[in-house]
Amino acid sequence: MVIFLRSGGKLRDKLKPDVDEYTKRVEVEGDKSLREILGEVGVPDSLVAFAFANGKLERLDYRPSDGDVITLQPPVSGG
Amino acid sequence: MPLTSDQKDRYSRQIALPGWGEKGQEKLLASRVFVAGVGGLGCAAAVYLAAAGVGELVICDADTVERSNLNRQVLYGRDDLTRPKVTTAAPRLSALNPDVSISPVVAEIGPATAAGLIEGADVVLDCLDNPETRVALNRACIAAGTPLVYAAVSEYTGYLSFLHPPATPCLECFVDRTRPAVDPPVPGATAGAIGTLEAMEALKFLTGTGETLAGKLLVMEGAVPSFDVVTVEREPSCKACSHLG
Repeated sequence: MVIFLRSGGKLRDKLKPDVDEYTKRVEVEGDKSLREILGEVGVPDSLVAFAFANGKLERLDYRPSDGDVITLQPPVSGG
Repeated sequence: MPLTSDQKDRYSRQIALPGWGEKGQEKLLASRVFVAGVGGLGCAAAVYLAAAGVGELVICDADTVERSNLNRQVLYGRDDLTRPKVTTAAPRLSALNPDVSISPVVAEIGPATAAGLIEGADVVLDCLDNPETRVALNRACIAAGTPLVYAAVSEYTGYLSFLHPPATPCLECFVDRTRPAVDPPVPGATAGAIGTLEAMEALKFLTGTGETLAGKLLVMEGAVPSFDVVTVEREPSCKACSHLG
């Protein structure tokens, strides 16, 4: 299946977008979690606090579906 | 307490908002809001809460003003360096709106202190800067049944949610407390934008107008720019709030 990983923030450099300046196309073999997919594309999961897909916040054990656009968000705790 | 003619005039631009009215303003003037942290988020939130006429604003921070604060903590200036933040901010907020009682509290928020500090608040604003203190505040709000407006910023990124379990997730349903705290780069406008939205969440709740971010998370990526609002569900095994059922 094909999914799209997206980041507008500081994760963008790690993601290396190739669809537009924020989005990377990823071909996924088999049924994998987002954590596993991040490992395969070289994004350390320590840099991802959560993600959202289809209007819903998901954790790194989320298992994407074909065509998902998944936005990755870094941990943020400043005030 | 009915509004004075001065108050009807002063708050006329918000009283005119559908659903707010004089009754909403009276509710606001009878409210107590606790602002945890008067840094980048807290300065912005406190200014707009004071301007709106929140009856009592408790501002709590143990820190003193540092030079590196001045790009974003807009209640302080160069002459305030080394002074306690809350006692510096309090008279400026009072001058902005004498209707508002400002209670400055110099205190560290932690597991032993949070419950006592937030006592009596109708809503609490998380304007803190590290995961551990945020967790302590979250747990105190859960125990008290007090809603918590959560916000966090870094670079051009901001997060915001209205937390009031069991109807909504709590902070620990979706934020990992084990992430280390760092001093992130933060342009002032990032903190100002999200801090202002924190105030807006509190005002909507207190006046019963608009729709809060209950069960939702607002994600701002100012660098793009983009705003997303996504749904957030409770974590059934959450150590902080699963006991609420």
